[in-house]
Amino acid sequence: MKRKLKSKLLAGFMLLVSLLIVAGSISIFEFLNLGKTVSSLIDNNYKTIVASRSMLEALEREDSGILLLMLGQWERGRGILEEADSLFLDALELAKKNVTEKNEQAVVDSISDAYHFYRSKWQMPIVDTQKEGNITWYEHNIHQDFLETKGFVDDLMTLNQNNLYEEASTLKDKAHRAIMPGIVAIIGALLFSVLLNFYINVQFVNPLKRLIKAIKTHHPDDRLLETNIRSEDEIKELEREVNKMIIRYSRKD
Amino acid sequence: MRAEVVIKYLGYVLLFNAVFLLISWILSVFMDPAPTTALLFTALICIIFGLFPLVFSANYDSISFPEGIIIVVAGWLITCTIGMLPYIMWGGEFTLANAFFESVSGFTTTGSTVLNNIEGLPYGLLFWRSSTHWIGGVGIIIFVLLILPHAKNARITLLNTEMSELSKSNFHYKARTTIRILVVVYLGLTLAETISLRIAGMNWFDAVNHSFATIATGGFSTKNTSVAYYNSPVIESIIMLFMLLSGIHFGILFGTIIGSKENIFTSKLVRSYVIVMFLGIFLVALKLYHDHFYDWWSALRYSSFQVISVGTTTGFATADTANWPVFTQIVMLYFIIQCAMAGSTSGGLKFDRVYLFFKALNKQVKFIRHPNAVFSLKIDNKLISEQLERQTMLFIVLYVFTLLVTTTLLAAMDIDLMTSFSAAAATLGNVGPGFSRVSSMANFGNLPDLAKLILSVSMLLGRLEIYSVIALFTIRR
Repeated sequence: MKRKLKSKLLAGFMLLVSLLIVAGSISIFEFLNLGKTVSSLIDNNYKTIVASRSMLEALEREDSGILLLMLGQWERGRGILEEADSLFLDALELAKKNVTEKNEQAVVDSISDAYHFYRSKWQMPIVDTQKEGNITWYEHNIHQDFLETKGFVDDLMTLNQNNLYEEASTLKDKAHRAIMPGIVAIIGALLFSVLLNFYINVQFVNPLKRLIKAIKTHHPDDRLLETNIRSEDEIKELEREVNKMIIRYSRKD
Repeated sequence: MRAEVVIKYLGYVLLFNAVFLLISWILSVFMDPAPTTALLFTALICIIFGLFPLVFSANYDSISFPEGIIIVVAGWLITCTIGMLPYIMWGGEFTLANAFFESVSGFTTTGSTVLNNIEGLPYGLLFWRSSTHWIGGVGIIIFVLLILPHAKNARITLLNTEMSELSKSNFHYKARTTIRILVVVYLGLTLAETISLRIAGMNWFDAVNHSFATIATGGFSTKNTSVAYYNSPVIESIIMLFMLLSGIHFGILFGTIIGSKENIFTSKLVRSYVIVMFLGIFLVALKLYHDHFYDWWSALRYSSFQVISVGTTTGFATADTANWPVFTQIVMLYFIIQCAMAGSTSGGLKFDRVYLFFKALNKQVKFIRHPNAVFSLKIDNKLISEQLERQTMLFIVLYVFTLLVTTTLLAAMDIDLMTSFSAAAATLGNVGPGFSRVSSMANFGNLPDLAKLILSVSMLLGRLEIYSVIALFTIRR
């Protein structure tokens, strides 16, 4: 098959360029994947962990509020309870919207049920009733429900923390996968350059040198040039034309 | 020596690898949640580097013997290097040393692994891992020769370089026919085992992967606990049968299929190979039963599988042989060194050479008694030349010497004797598992990186049958 020098060289460079383009594309794809993993870490787990912390904080505040009510401080106690209740419900709503892990829905439902039961206990009047200053009532009716709700919130936080840890540990591998095509492409391009240089020498430089040497050492008594060029390109064509020229001049002589 | 000729043939080798890389990638696209781009990228590298010499070089009809040697040795080295790229790019347990070891172990059909969690790999990478066995089993150069449209003389030179003298016995055909027979038997066995394993209850993916590993006498499984995972006597029996068949000379297997006189029932060599194997199974089973490891049936079941597995250089496992009595380990060490028959996909010393060794020993004893008599050596009614006899004896010496050097190098890294010796024997023989720290249920991951590199070289030496590597270093420009 006859191949022109131009197309050979072009093919060589095109292959080199395609190697770099593919490596670049794969790296970009892997980096996008990495970005997605980071954002899913934030969306899936981190937000719920923050919501769980808020719920725990709200529960602690509500516990303080209840104790204040039991001490007869109605206004301060109610203020704290309403503020903490609003904080808890907002956080719970966030957690409900962000169910992403297996079994997470069940835990969120348990929190919701436990909290509403706990809430119904302290929403009833405490000040100026038998409950005021009644530590036994607190221990049997309030504290148990408080601990149960807190336990469910803890479960939600642990679930998301574990998933966060697992996902984060894959980040190292994902970053590795994003970088490696680039490194391999650099090494590949270096090797390819060496190979290209070798072929330029073998296919273009050496045949030209042989042709020049043959022309220089050509004796008028010799009929044709002997260059042993095997390729079917412009250099071979040049050799043929030089040989034709020799034949034409030898006929003239 | 013409470098452009060598590079052109290496290009074919890369293109052949690209085919299996692309298949692995396609599988990954359909089976894995996140397709393994490492496979696609490596395939493209193979295509680019493989096509490049084809664009530039003219066709060469013949190649010289030195060129043939370089093509074969460099072909294996390039294949192993390219083969590690998907592992390196994947990361996880694959460090540079681990990836190279796993790749060499795959292509040389050794089957030793560095992985603790094989099941954690994506499907695409698991398939590529098994494919390295299948490509290396019959030899990548053989596949390349099959698809080459031209170069009759080059084919003869490369076939002579890739196959040893012993392997070529029982092939009384032209180079192209010999290659076709090899590939047809190889494909036929793979297909038959895949279907059998599927019927026995394996899923298609596992069946294909285990067939690749069995027929190539490799040993990579898709499960952490190898074939023990299935705990199925039917699956074990199928794998045992195909391991045995894959350890027999492909020319004799082909003769059996076409009803030739030279078949597995008439060959004394095959008969001896099977008898020795059964003797080993019996000895191991007897010891296991005697030492109350198992009841008689279980002792026979586990010993059969393990002895056939190491005796054919496959390396699958159904039991942890590290806990077995020392006597059984010594029996199996013999099989790790002896290995299966020449002309099969197995590696190592080869049963034929051991058989020839004892025949030559017998001849020498006769010669001492009758110094003026002329004795000839025959195997399966075929006369063995003095040259082949000498070559075989030298090979055995060279093999043992290489084994001792590798053991010494490993021991120098404070690795215990059993681990050092069995690891050296298992890698040089392309068997897979050894004993102690590298037993059937353990892996090579706990060894130092330098030890992994030495063992990788040992695997390559075993696959190239040492002579080719020595020949490479004696080539002059």
